[in-house]
Amino acid sequence: MTTEESGLARFGSRELALAGVLALAITTSAVAFPMLVDARPAYEIPVDQQSDPGDLAEPTGDDWGDVPAASVPLSSAGAAVPGGDDTAVEGARVEAARTSDQLYLRLSWSDTSENRSTESLNEFADAAAVQLPANGTDRPPIAMGSTSNPVNVWYWSGDDTTEALLAGGAGTTTEMEGTNLETAATHEDGRWNVVFTRPLAADGENVADATATNEMDVAFAVWEGSNAERSGQKATTEWYYLALEPDTSAAPYETILWTVAGLAIVLTTLVTVEGVRRTRGD
Amino acid sequence: MSQSDDTGVDLAEGIDHQVAMVMDLNKCIGCQTCTIACKTNWTESGGREYMYWNNVETKPGAGYPRDWEELGGGWDEEGEERTPGELPDQEDYGRAWEFNHEAIMYEGSDEPLRPLENADWGPNWDEDEGAGEYPNSYYFYLPRICNHCTHPSCVEACPRSAIYKREEDGIVLVDQDRCRGYRYCVEGCPYKKVYYNAQTKTSEKCIFCYPRIEGEGPEGEVRPPSCAEDCPPQLRHVGFLDDEEGPIHKLVNEYEVAVRLHPEYRTEPNVYYIPPFAPPQTSESGETVDAERIPRDYLEELFGSQVNEALNTISRERDRVRRGEESELMNLLTTVNNDNQYRLEVFADDD
Repeated sequence: MTTEESGLARFGSRELALAGVLALAITTSAVAFPMLVDARPAYEIPVDQQSDPGDLAEPTGDDWGDVPAASVPLSSAGAAVPGGDDTAVEGARVEAARTSDQLYLRLSWSDTSENRSTESLNEFADAAAVQLPANGTDRPPIAMGSTSNPVNVWYWSGDDTTEALLAGGAGTTTEMEGTNLETAATHEDGRWNVVFTRPLAADGENVADATATNEMDVAFAVWEGSNAERSGQKATTEWYYLALEPDTSAAPYETILWTVAGLAIVLTTLVTVEGVRRTRGD
Repeated sequence: MSQSDDTGVDLAEGIDHQVAMVMDLNKCIGCQTCTIACKTNWTESGGREYMYWNNVETKPGAGYPRDWEELGGGWDEEGEERTPGELPDQEDYGRAWEFNHEAIMYEGSDEPLRPLENADWGPNWDEDEGAGEYPNSYYFYLPRICNHCTHPSCVEACPRSAIYKREEDGIVLVDQDRCRGYRYCVEGCPYKKVYYNAQTKTSEKCIFCYPRIEGEGPEGEVRPPSCAEDCPPQLRHVGFLDDEEGPIHKLVNEYEVAVRLHPEYRTEPNVYYIPPFAPPQTSESGETVDAERIPRDYLEELFGSQVNEALNTISRERDRVRRGEESELMNLLTTVNNDNQYRLEVFADDD
């Protein structure tokens, strides 16, 4: 017999039962707690699975009501343009949904001034953009990617501009022709709601393919027209990721953490019990 | 930032040659023929109605756009850091007014020809107002185009390099495919010679009539920019700054009588001016007084301290001519031969 086996053999049935109950409780909680508190990883944008597109293409469509929202903080991108550190929008709400073939992203933020015009020299339109890795492998540099790791930018502007752009670093955005990106936007009750939608599958070269991955990096930007924001003078997020595939279990790292914690508690309990017994001189 | 070529002329880095223009302000009669020549060629429609790539303004005066000299832009004292300027207000350019031509020409109206809307500002609105007190009031006309600068702050201002200085002749152009209408060039140019087109949502500017100087103009000949060729008093010389035998090099570098407008903006313009002379002041009784009509400090404000030497040199050379002596400088300034004014094919064999 090894030392451990002889040690274990010294536990009475009462202690073993207690340990068993504890272990069961911990295992249960490992599964139940994440579901109860919905501990979504910090940078995850959940993608709601819908069988039917319904009115998801509408910026205030009813079907958006069921889609979980993520709040994303925004801050100045700090680009080297005049006023590059002066941005107005500090946060936005992001919702994502998909059908079997289409991806929908809704960006929503509070904005008391609706700036749609670029009809005079002094007018700048509100705008928003979604940034995705063009080739979906390594995460590109957050500031518009790089030559070797470009990004796709879905750009919407309040003057009814919708553009699918390709960029390989700041100042390189180039419009991509013939893409299937569509946008729709409304400004109601002091909020912009902008829907971007595109087929999940890539529709050309250097276009992010959302069918090739379960998790796709994504970042967001908002320009406040009344603050003359344009170009690198924009409020941006860090990289997030879209959880594209349904995920019924808790994230793997959560299960691991809870299991490790449970085992540690069982072990501590056993050691404590054994300690008490020895102190008593059993 | 700049390089010196064999002639010792400072050219922008990476530029083979630099086109340049010298305008003799003593010849400008403010007729705006240059303005209209430019406008009919380039800015008649399509969101360009308010633009005058070439304008003629009265100095002293607010200019076009109004008070452009107070809007910043250009470079700091070391010439290294840009000083971001402001965007002018749209109204400061003036609107393209609609007139009652229809009513007068076709409907028999007796009303005077006038704008249909309130006209309260426009290019050269303060025409001939100038400054000073009668009988010594003064003004002169200042024609302005893009200066196609050697150290252009508009080019530096663009985060997309959509505005650039082209290699063969230093003309500053906006790549209409690259431009996204950010307007940093508009605010960055201290001369406010880049214009935003709200229809195309891009910025546009004087192109130094490059198709004409490339021989793509009328009759397939090399011609100077329209503003120069159509000028009734032919006040402009056009050529290359680094053409040692050309009039520009002589006026700018040899005689140093052609000076830059607002050199303190440090963009190093390639449009130069022969500073204006005016008749001397007169007394209340109409006697001529030995005092300059246009205050020297005003000219210094516009053209920097170099204007003094320029004016002195011209005076000296004028005196020589009065004494019956030969003056190459005065020949250059008074030529009526276009071949002496426009030298644009001197580097044509380069490529």
